[in-house]
Amino acid sequence: MSRSEVVTMVLGRRLPQSSYYDKDFRPSASLYRARQPYLVKNAFTGIAMLGFAISVYTFTIRAVSQDEFEDVKVPDAPVEAPPTSSAVAQ
Amino acid sequence: MATVPSICSKCLRQAIRSTPKSTTHRSFTASASKSPSTPPTRRIHHSTRQRTPAIEPQNHSNATPYTSGAVRGRQTDQAAAAQRQPSRVLLQPNNLFHSYTHSPSPEIRQRAAFMRQNAYCPHPDHHASPEGGEAAVAPPRHVSHECPDCGIPVSCSPDHFVDDYASHLEICDLLRQINEDDHDLLSGRFFPEFEYPGPQIDEAQVNLTNWDTLLYSREFNAVNEERPMRQVTRLLTYPITVGSVLHELSPYSLNDRLLPEGLRSLSALRHTLHPPRSGAGVDIKGLRPNPPPMRLFILGARAESSLPREVWLQLSHLFPRSSFHLIFIGPESMSGRDHEYPLPERTPINPFGQIVEDRLGGQMKISTYVEYYHTLHEAQHFHPFDPYFDAFVLFHPGLGHPASSHEWKETLPQLLETKCPVICTGYTEFDMERDISWVRESCGGEADLLMRPGENRFRSLRWDLNDADPGDVSCGNWGVWAFRGKRYEADEYRGKEGDGSGGWDR
Repeated sequence: MSRSEVVTMVLGRRLPQSSYYDKDFRPSASLYRARQPYLVKNAFTGIAMLGFAISVYTFTIRAVSQDEFEDVKVPDAPVEAPPTSSAVAQ
Repeated sequence: MATVPSICSKCLRQAIRSTPKSTTHRSFTASASKSPSTPPTRRIHHSTRQRTPAIEPQNHSNATPYTSGAVRGRQTDQAAAAQRQPSRVLLQPNNLFHSYTHSPSPEIRQRAAFMRQNAYCPHPDHHASPEGGEAAVAPPRHVSHECPDCGIPVSCSPDHFVDDYASHLEICDLLRQINEDDHDLLSGRFFPEFEYPGPQIDEAQVNLTNWDTLLYSREFNAVNEERPMRQVTRLLTYPITVGSVLHELSPYSLNDRLLPEGLRSLSALRHTLHPPRSGAGVDIKGLRPNPPPMRLFILGARAESSLPREVWLQLSHLFPRSSFHLIFIGPESMSGRDHEYPLPERTPINPFGQIVEDRLGGQMKISTYVEYYHTLHEAQHFHPFDPYFDAFVLFHPGLGHPASSHEWKETLPQLLETKCPVICTGYTEFDMERDISWVRESCGGEADLLMRPGENRFRSLRWDLNDADPGDVSCGNWGVWAFRGKRYEADEYRGKEGDGSGGWDR
């Protein structure tokens, strides 16, 4: 039975809302304080993960873009056959 | 020369006061309500340690808006919930600073009168010079002049006040904060911070890094301002300090302040406090044998024994799968609980007249003994002690304090003999260091340090005023440390490291 919930009146109905967010659903000061020991470490972790994802993409695209396809002979465009009159018997 | 730092029992009582109820039953909801206390009618031992006496308002039927309005958060009590909103607010938030002598509240005016009768002016002219060559310039006089910035009488005359202004400036801001906090308690506002949450599911971990993470992970109501934070931590510091040391996610580790001997003791206790899951359930198939409860002996209990039981239940909510038995022992363990007098008779079944409050929240039981601990120990009342189940907690015991250390002389060897950890707190660093050196000298080499002294992460954020010396501010449980009797065990030889000195030098 959590008591950290404050109700908001929306269209006559009550929605439960954590008291750690204000009425505009923005984090309150107490939430920022609770997150504060982990802000820097989380930021570094996020940057590291983003960097890892970007580097994987970069490496893959560069590796793939180096492929040479000169040895694959592209066949000539097919010669168009004269339009055969459909045997439409008049 | 500092006089005794001691928690102002009057302040604490103001914080926990609520409407009086009948005392016939000792259930949880009744014990949460306390009437403003009158001086206890019976004291077995009069402690010589100086503290504020129990000066009370003339009649508590003349309830201030605070006492009628701010009934403490009892979630299950509808009548209390209806009473919670006060009919009028005595003081607005921007109107909280008042001189103590001219305060709108009669209790604070009474405190100011007490200060004028008991507190002495700290100006050096009143004291003999340190070399002992001359007598004091002026005889000691009581304070009467109030500082205009903090509203508390601190000097005997305006001249001494101006003379000593530099040293007063150091604490003037703090005193003003104390002033505003005191008036805030009596302002009759709604106190959402005093609505405590119930138990949590096991999987919801508690974060014991600091107050903010703890309150968030325990799903307290969000406390955005600093003033309510100070008010709520002042009460919660007692159970949470103990919980933060004992919990397996404790912030004190081997890298921090814990010593290897401390880890041994705490691991034994954590084995009981965090038992492995046994598949227990609420039906017949879920019946499992349960271990006995963890016993916490709170010695020298004064104000903490009168804390509302919801506050002590927060300790059991930190440990969802274990049960607790809190035992308050001390000559003043009934201070602030005057509506529970007269004490039970001493019968063969109840030889020391203990008051038992059982079935608190399903996992806690609280017993109170108005007796010295050494008496109970000699009677072997709690024997046998088991380091897996028992621990001692001393909240600001004043072990080394000259006025109270003689009372602990007999108890210390008995505590060391039980080999159970003793967790101590202190008002200030100086207080703690004095306690530690006293233990170190008196133990005769029989004590091991378990946790090095330092600031308690879960100390009270609110500073308290000593009415008998307005220059003396202290906060509850500022620091925490722990010791235990030395255990002699055959162990492998580890060279010079394990020299058995007890860790006091680290």
